[in-house]
Amino acid sequence: MRNTTTGWLLIAPTLFILFITGMVPFLYVLAVGFLDWNTFAANPEPRFAGVDNFRRLVFDAAFLKSLWLTFKFTLFVLASQLIIGFFLAKMLMRNVPLKGLFRTVHTLPLMIAPIAVGATWRLMTVPGLGPIPHWMQQWFDISYVLSRFPDQAFATVVIMDIWHWTPLVTLTLMAGLSNLPEEPLEQARIDGAGEWRIFWDITLPFLKPVLLTTIFIRLMDALRTVDEVWMLTGGGPGAETRFIGLHIWRVVFPKTDYGYGAAMSLITLYLTIVMCWLLYVAMTGMKEKSR
Amino acid sequence: MPKLLLATSAIAVALSAPAYADFWSDAGANLQGVTIRGVSESTPPSNYVRDVLAPQFTEATGIEVEFETTSWDQMFDKAIKDMEAGSGIYDFVYIEQDIIYSYLARDFLVNISDALEANPSLQAPDFSIEDFTTFIDNFRGADGDIFGVPMEAFIKVYLYRKDLFEDPAHQEAFKAKYGYDLAPATTFDQWRDNAEYFANLDPNDELWGTTVQAASGHPAAFYEFFESIAPTYGVYDWGIDMAKGAATVEKGGRMNSPEAKEALAFWVGLLDFAPPEATASTWDEVASTFAAGRAAQGWVYGENAAWVATNPEKSTVVGKVGVALPPMNPGVMEEAEAGEGYIGYYDGGAFGIPHSSKNKEAALLWLQFIGQPSVQADWAVAGSRVVHQATFDDPKVKEVDAMADGYFTMMKEQGHLFKGAPEFPFHAQVREAVAPFIYEAIVGTMTPEEALDQAAAAAEAEMANLGYGGN
Repeated sequence: MRNTTTGWLLIAPTLFILFITGMVPFLYVLAVGFLDWNTFAANPEPRFAGVDNFRRLVFDAAFLKSLWLTFKFTLFVLASQLIIGFFLAKMLMRNVPLKGLFRTVHTLPLMIAPIAVGATWRLMTVPGLGPIPHWMQQWFDISYVLSRFPDQAFATVVIMDIWHWTPLVTLTLMAGLSNLPEEPLEQARIDGAGEWRIFWDITLPFLKPVLLTTIFIRLMDALRTVDEVWMLTGGGPGAETRFIGLHIWRVVFPKTDYGYGAAMSLITLYLTIVMCWLLYVAMTGMKEKSR
Repeated sequence: MPKLLLATSAIAVALSAPAYADFWSDAGANLQGVTIRGVSESTPPSNYVRDVLAPQFTEATGIEVEFETTSWDQMFDKAIKDMEAGSGIYDFVYIEQDIIYSYLARDFLVNISDALEANPSLQAPDFSIEDFTTFIDNFRGADGDIFGVPMEAFIKVYLYRKDLFEDPAHQEAFKAKYGYDLAPATTFDQWRDNAEYFANLDPNDELWGTTVQAASGHPAAFYEFFESIAPTYGVYDWGIDMAKGAATVEKGGRMNSPEAKEALAFWVGLLDFAPPEATASTWDEVASTFAAGRAAQGWVYGENAAWVATNPEKSTVVGKVGVALPPMNPGVMEEAEAGEGYIGYYDGGAFGIPHSSKNKEAALLWLQFIGQPSVQADWAVAGSRVVHQATFDDPKVKEVDAMADGYFTMMKEQGHLFKGAPEFPFHAQVREAVAPFIYEAIVGTMTPEEALDQAAAAAEAEMANLGYGGN
């Protein structure tokens, strides 16, 4: 009993700080989500609006488009980073020449702040200044103008995110791979199992805890991507890369529509939690099934 | 004895004269150790404030100035959040002419006229409201009091490459192709022809026909269309009738009128002759494009006119810049002269003091310091901005004026034909509602007609949502 009390006392400061920095802002946003509050309206005072903000969201084409773009972006970057990250991790587990150098260089993007990544990519892609449009024109006769062609902008944003965050996936999968037990793998090889069979039935189940953690981290990061994209495309051309974080920013800051922006934030948080939960259920269910 | 009296009197005069002449050190005596903080957009005039005027003020008064120059949208974010929260981070903020109505509606700003009257000891002898051009009227409240001291004002002008337009070979080739003389455009068709001609000279050169401020995800595109292009087609105040809360033609607005649609089609059509960076260009990039010699003509903010025309370290077109009024539809000039319309954008801003400032007295001194006649000419040369009437006649300004093909003369004599943003308290909110449709038109995912029909509906919905107008 005394141990329990002491334990609570010891973690109380942490809990207090977490409550202040995590729960209080959340409760504030929750309350604002039910208000009609735009400080530049004819009546700038906050007024209770019930669920009006949430009802508006269902019919808001810009919000729905932004959500769809975010999910599409998340799907592309997550799948690409897992596949590329896995192969890079496998490669770096072997004794290949210049492995140490490659691992260091490969990890460098992780150390760069997202805003700087966005700025760097912008410099590389601005027509008339950046090298990428120049090379695309010279080598492939492709007019590469992010601010004019939505597909190019979306693809570039995806590639930038893959470049930035795949090293994280590589590192975590390397940690997982290096902890794989040798015995089941050797037994499978002795029994004549092929590489694909070994991967699917042995490597993947053993990697699931690491994979799950990695996917959760990257999923949540991808869903809240703002700074890189804001620097590179500003959400354009049009609204073709205006992911949900950027969209909420535009509603809350330039438009000062605090109530509606808070409602968007809450719905986005809810959807993120639901997606993570579904993923967790799917993966742990698969694990149970594989047993 | 008389000698002693004379000597005493002389000493007394000598002691008192510097006290009056050195108003700034006297006024700053009680404010030693104070640091005032401000925020503005990173522009040539603001950079001059940061690099030159702020250190001069500190030297004169002992008051430190921390002046943050940042991007346009960050500047507004920071200033508005500070004033809304009342946190008092900033002692002076940049007030663009178009946002003043929103700030006044929210009572964010200190009444400078009242503050000066209440503090006679802080009234600088060289500072006078009467020295300013009529641009200061943008910063008056309903009773005529001043809420901001203008720090920059300029017009958005038509810049063209004189060397190209006056080249006999081009003149001959142009006439052979289009059947009339090559000249700065006075009609939209002529602008288009000029643009097409120069864009198609040589597919491998780095010269295009026109700039277009068409950043496809930035409000700069909205501003060029609604404040520079639409007015020359006779569509004023964004096509919005604020009293009715109307933007659509059906309700009495003009945002989706045939003239507005024609204007948008013309402007978007120019992208075919613009450099590839046009769809990523805000006001800064447009100036850079022109200064790099990548466009034969364009609408360029006047704050950039001086350095584009005179600074060889930054510009490749020094001595080659022509300045003209923009083309416009018949009748627009007459409406502008009658005060019923305007032919383009008269932009600028002031520094104001938020109510939340913790150093109002020091900020009041600072605002007067930047409003003195003695600092205006060099500032005008550095930043192509004029806020005092007398600055136009300063020899330094006249020298730059000659190199900039009469930009300052145009501003002085024809500035009244231009106008700032409409007096909307919902400026940013309606802009954010409308701008996405302009972006869609730029990218081509909507026709100009579709874009403006939807933009007008969105503007009305936003005004209704905010509680403005007759909806």
